[in-house]
Amino acid sequence: MGVALDRSPIIREAPNLSGLPVGEISEDSRLVAAARMGDRTAFGRLYERHARLVHGVLLAHAPFAEVDDLVHDVFLIAMRRLDSLRDPDAFAGWLLAIARNRAVDFHRRSRATEELPEETAGSDPGEYEARAALEAIRSLPEAYRETLVLRLVEGMTGPEIAARTGLTPASVRVNLHRGMKQLREKLGRSKTDE
Amino acid sequence: MNDYLWDGSGEPDPEIQKLETALGRFRHNQPAPEFSQIAAARMHPARASQWLSSSFARWAGIAAVLTLVAVACLWFALRHANPAPGAESRWEIASLAGTPSVGNKTIAKTGDAGKWRNGQTLETDSRSRARISDEATGEVEIEPDTRLRLVESDLARKQLALDRGTIRASIWSPPGDFVVDTPAAVTVDLGCAYTLHVDDSGAGILHTTLGWVGFRLKGRESFIPAGAACATRPSIGPGTPYFEDASATFREALTRFDFGAQDTGQKSAEVTTILVESRKRDALTLWHLLCRVPEADRSRVYERLAGFVSPPPGVTREGVLQLDPQMLDTWWNELGLGDISLWRTWERSWSQHESAGKH
Repeated sequence: MGVALDRSPIIREAPNLSGLPVGEISEDSRLVAAARMGDRTAFGRLYERHARLVHGVLLAHAPFAEVDDLVHDVFLIAMRRLDSLRDPDAFAGWLLAIARNRAVDFHRRSRATEELPEETAGSDPGEYEARAALEAIRSLPEAYRETLVLRLVEGMTGPEIAARTGLTPASVRVNLHRGMKQLREKLGRSKTDE
Repeated sequence: MNDYLWDGSGEPDPEIQKLETALGRFRHNQPAPEFSQIAAARMHPARASQWLSSSFARWAGIAAVLTLVAVACLWFALRHANPAPGAESRWEIASLAGTPSVGNKTIAKTGDAGKWRNGQTLETDSRSRARISDEATGEVEIEPDTRLRLVESDLARKQLALDRGTIRASIWSPPGDFVVDTPAAVTVDLGCAYTLHVDDSGAGILHTTLGWVGFRLKGRESFIPAGAACATRPSIGPGTPYFEDASATFREALTRFDFGAQDTGQKSAEVTTILVESRKRDALTLWHLLCRVPEADRSRVYERLAGFVSPPPGVTREGVLQLDPQMLDTWWNELGLGDISLWRTWERSWSQHESAGKH
């Protein structure tokens, strides 16, 4: 049997699990409180603030043609369950968990029926390249996949990704760096194959 | 690192710019739906107002409201006079096939649903399946020949115990809220989908589908990311996690190392096989092995892992060989498999929970 880790003497600061800067947290918290009181405009603001993030995470796991519908599903689930969110500051992380779960559920249901291939590109070579790049990103390990989609597709910066996902800036840097390296290798290889 | 990739500053990288332009067509560009209309439609206001417009309906409505208030008062009084065990639980059980049972009651028809209370046991036989769900937590499918108990469920924590059988969990509550005890380890959801099987001897295996899951027994812990699996045995605890696409030789050597090898010599031989067979992706396994191998083998594991993922600044060879917890955590975060602070947060809250005598 291996040696158990004894980490009891280590005392750390509790991380900010929402990952958002303090000002951003209070804004989310304020909007969640208003949305709970029935203010749908406040919920619309939460959508505007986080839809790009949810879209990016879903795009890392589900076909592009399905993603817009899935984004709406995620926000509808969130609206219905908003009362069950214990810590309003953790809204972003909670929303991400719903999005990832919705992606799993989508795949499970797709397998139960029929897995449809991603819509093939038309004659536009730019679209063909874009789809190939997206597929290459989707074939990367999960941690790199989501981070790269958020950076390259959704146009978020590294600090913004860290703030919104709750990852540390160091983890996001590593994911971007390693993910990009693997992506270059994959894209280089597919060009060689042509 | 190229600053352009990090935050768009610095000299633009032409290849990244090209990718941004190409992939930009997939960017989110939908306006917010009209949530006010969605909410209103759910309440069917047109039908409601039509119904209330007749005077008879208005009086019927007032009577119904008064009745509801009376029933609610009665329920409130009874509940506080004699609180039901497990009253906080919001789990619903539904039959998916056959006749699952809760205690001596069976859920006869597929689609039948009922509440699942703290302390109750849900069992499926060889032909039945069930699903439990809690809107705030997630869904769990219970496969045939499974026995699952609801130990505790309140707003803060959901604790189940899987005595035997198979469950498939999809969890959306915050990381660390959903916990499943098995005879050989505690499974902690860190977001968000996994399959857990426990056989009649109490041995278990966990496969993570999405996100990652923590496995723990008495300070021995394993982190299992998507695509990886981890076995566990009673009185030993969680084994070393591995990616399921690792070679058969690698996986067999790991099983012998975790649960078979009795002495240091045998363990060292298995470590040699594991190191020879390991790929870059198996950094997951090597990181866990640092704390588990005999001390004499630790430097070999360190070298192999460092060859795959360089130790980040501040992580030294000496520190790792002495199992410095801070350095091990920092190195873990370099693996790109998830941020370990989620787990540490859960550990802190769990320790508080345990010391409060709730577990």
